[in-house]
Amino acid sequence: MKKILVADDEMAIRLLYSEELKEEGYEVYTASNGREALDIIDTMPLDLVILDIKMPEMDGIEALRQIKEKKPNLPVLLSTAYGEYKQDFATWASDDYLVKSSDLEDLKNAVKRHLKE
Amino acid sequence: MSSERIAFLSQMVEVLTSTVSFAERLGNMVHLLARFLKVDLALYFGLDKTKESLSLQISSQGPLPPKLRVEYQTGQGVVGAAAKTRQPQVVHRDQPGVVTDNAPLEKLQPNFNTLAAFPVADDNFLYGVLLLVNNAVRSFTPAELHSVHLTCLMLAGALRQGLVQEEAKKRIAELSVLFEVGKAISGTVELDDLLERIVSTTAKVINARGAVLQIIDNETGKTRVSSQYGLVPAAKICPPIPGAAEAAGAGAEMPFLQGQTSDAKGKVHFYLGVPLIFKGHLQGTLCVFDKIGPAGEPQPFDPENRQLMFTMAGLIVNALENALTYQQVETLAERNERMVRNLTALQEVSQAMLTTVQEERLLDIIIQGLIQPTGLGFDRVQILEVDEESQVLRGRKGATRPPDSPTLPLSEALFLPLAAEVPVSDWQIPISPGLGAMAQAVLRMRPVHHSSQQPANKGASLGSGSFEASEYYVVPLVVKDRATGIIVVDNQASGRPLEPEPLHALQMLATQAALMLENAHLYSTIEANNRELMLIRERMLESDRLAALSSLASGMAHEIRNPLVSIGGFARRIAKLVDKNSPLRGYVEVIQEEVSRLEKLLREILDFTGENLSYFGDHNLDQLIEDTLPLIQRDLEAANIKVVTDLQPVPRIHCDDRQIKQVFYNLFQNARQAMQEKGGTLTITTFTQEREDGIYAAAAVSDTGGGIPLDVLHNIFNPFFSTKDYGTGLGLSIAQRIIARHYGHIEVKNELGKGVTFIVTLPIAKYCLVKDSAQGTARASALNAPSGGRR
Repeated sequence: MKKILVADDEMAIRLLYSEELKEEGYEVYTASNGREALDIIDTMPLDLVILDIKMPEMDGIEALRQIKEKKPNLPVLLSTAYGEYKQDFATWASDDYLVKSSDLEDLKNAVKRHLKE
Repeated sequence: MSSERIAFLSQMVEVLTSTVSFAERLGNMVHLLARFLKVDLALYFGLDKTKESLSLQISSQGPLPPKLRVEYQTGQGVVGAAAKTRQPQVVHRDQPGVVTDNAPLEKLQPNFNTLAAFPVADDNFLYGVLLLVNNAVRSFTPAELHSVHLTCLMLAGALRQGLVQEEAKKRIAELSVLFEVGKAISGTVELDDLLERIVSTTAKVINARGAVLQIIDNETGKTRVSSQYGLVPAAKICPPIPGAAEAAGAGAEMPFLQGQTSDAKGKVHFYLGVPLIFKGHLQGTLCVFDKIGPAGEPQPFDPENRQLMFTMAGLIVNALENALTYQQVETLAERNERMVRNLTALQEVSQAMLTTVQEERLLDIIIQGLIQPTGLGFDRVQILEVDEESQVLRGRKGATRPPDSPTLPLSEALFLPLAAEVPVSDWQIPISPGLGAMAQAVLRMRPVHHSSQQPANKGASLGSGSFEASEYYVVPLVVKDRATGIIVVDNQASGRPLEPEPLHALQMLATQAALMLENAHLYSTIEANNRELMLIRERMLESDRLAALSSLASGMAHEIRNPLVSIGGFARRIAKLVDKNSPLRGYVEVIQEEVSRLEKLLREILDFTGENLSYFGDHNLDQLIEDTLPLIQRDLEAANIKVVTDLQPVPRIHCDDRQIKQVFYNLFQNARQAMQEKGGTLTITTFTQEREDGIYAAAAVSDTGGGIPLDVLHNIFNPFFSTKDYGTGLGLSIAQRIIARHYGHIEVKNELGKGVTFIVTLPIAKYCLVKDSAQGTARASALNAPSGGRR
């Protein structure tokens, strides 16, 4: 079973994502900021990370940078409410950039794609 | 006393008291005496005024031949002796020296024998000598001598009476002349009138055929005025009188000029001229021509005429001096009045010019000031300006005074619009030397007075206008040693000559007008710059406002998006769990749909606020429109909307093509929504538009959706404003924002009941390739801002 980490400061989003992804047959872990996300990554092997950008303590961008330093091959998807940062996502070197939507089909498709399923 | 003597004396008394003329009376008396005494001849010699000679005046044998002249010197012969001694003298031929002494008698009675001479005198005056001539020796009885003595006394009495009569007649004549002259000259102070009266009166008084009066300007020596009356021989009008000027200064005896001259036909004319001298200065001459004789033949003038002329000259000069002074004063007063009028007009114009800085208004005021009858009163005025770049004078504005224009106070008339403008806008007059008055005035920076003898304005192109004037005046408008234009005035319509006073006033006006026009020009430049600055400031404020709005909107959007995603996401999850037939299913679907709508709105808001100008390039507007149309083609077809395009080749624009496509997409959507229910026609046209600040590529998008209600028209570009239940209300404001970012314009033409046309204008790329449709080749054109500047 593939392990996915969802990092988002909004509890409702964490719950929604994990419910949906669990339904898809993934094992889902959650973190409420970048710091927590890094801690989890350090302690267990993961297959994919979904990062929100705007989070307290450590934001998604910094978390992404550190994750890519430690585990360059771990796919990281940025899922954010900010539409306008799309331009920068190449520099941030995330694997994908998704604008949050109540329709989670895009997200689920991206997850599948990056897990090479 | 014998009866014969009584008869003689009574006859003598009869003759003496007869009414025949004085000369005839004397003749009769002498004849009577000769008959009574039975002498061969009785002669009367009159004493001349010089009292040096006695000349034969009357003979007992009737009238004397006209050319006969018999004269005794006082003391000469028997006649001279009688005059000298005042005693009767009787001599005989055989006495020594008698024949020699009485030689004057040889012509009359060479065979005389006894001569008896009697002085004709009263108590204090000798009038002449009565001479009795006998061919035989003769002696006189005392009675005879007494009779002769009585006759001599009677002759003296008659002569005295004649002299007194003559004197009285002369006095009367002189007085009547003085009266006539006085009447003539005191009746008027008008110089022309006076001169006319003087010459006519002079000619009548002297009984001359013609008279001429000339007044000489003492400074220049030239004839100032002259007047003539009657027949004046052309040959010699009024010759200068030699020595007159000197005599005038020295107060010497008046010289005169008298003589005769022949005209071209050989006819002899007599003339008499006297100088007119006043206060020691020569004023002129008064001449008369051809005294009219008894039979109407020309006669020479006599000393009495001369004396009369001198008398008249003395009277005339005073009146003339008065009239000349009066005329001078009148001329000066008239000139002063004209000057005051012109200066008042100048002041009015100058005050009116201060009321405006608008160039067009200023031009109107200047032109009104020049053509109004209460102003400087020219018939026509044209103002041209110098185009320094191309060195031509270009027509700016012109007008004529309408012939039936009412006379208004200038202060009112100056603010009226021009009633009769002259089309001068397409005038072009090259500025180069030798090309007529207008170019000259600019080059010399001095006024030029053009008369018909001078060359016309060569090389001038007057377009559809024309300029015909035999006389006109050109004044340059000079500011800071630079001619910026000219004012041209003429009186062609009325044919009046151009007077010096208004021209002088025009020069003064031109100086001020040039400054005021320059100020107005500077002001309009500053105003234009100011307007541009205001526009830039507005744009900056707008972008600040939008930046603030966008930061607020994006912040809001993010805050809203997370809960929305949760609500929507969980609603979907609930929908999966709810039974298809459960009423909850519908509710959950409503939640899902509403969330989707909100998410769409969020996306649009974030699009609206996002800035991205990194895709600018030169693009073809027609192509952008053609690229956009397919995106909405299906929607249009579905709504039964016909598309009509008329895309003309337009200059390329510098733009972000994606944004411009977005604009047209939004406009097409807007049109589609307007025609959604009934269908209609979407018309798209492109064209080139020239605006104040440059050339623009323009596109018009029209629908037939009935137009926008007036109460909402002002809101259509406001964000979030929508008349529709669907849509975000951002379409038009996004379009406006994009166009503003491109320094373009978006305008709306609303026809209620018909439809709406949106016109988008975008500035063209500065140097762009224009497809030349005629030759099918591309060429580089400088289609940037047209030369908006005046110079």
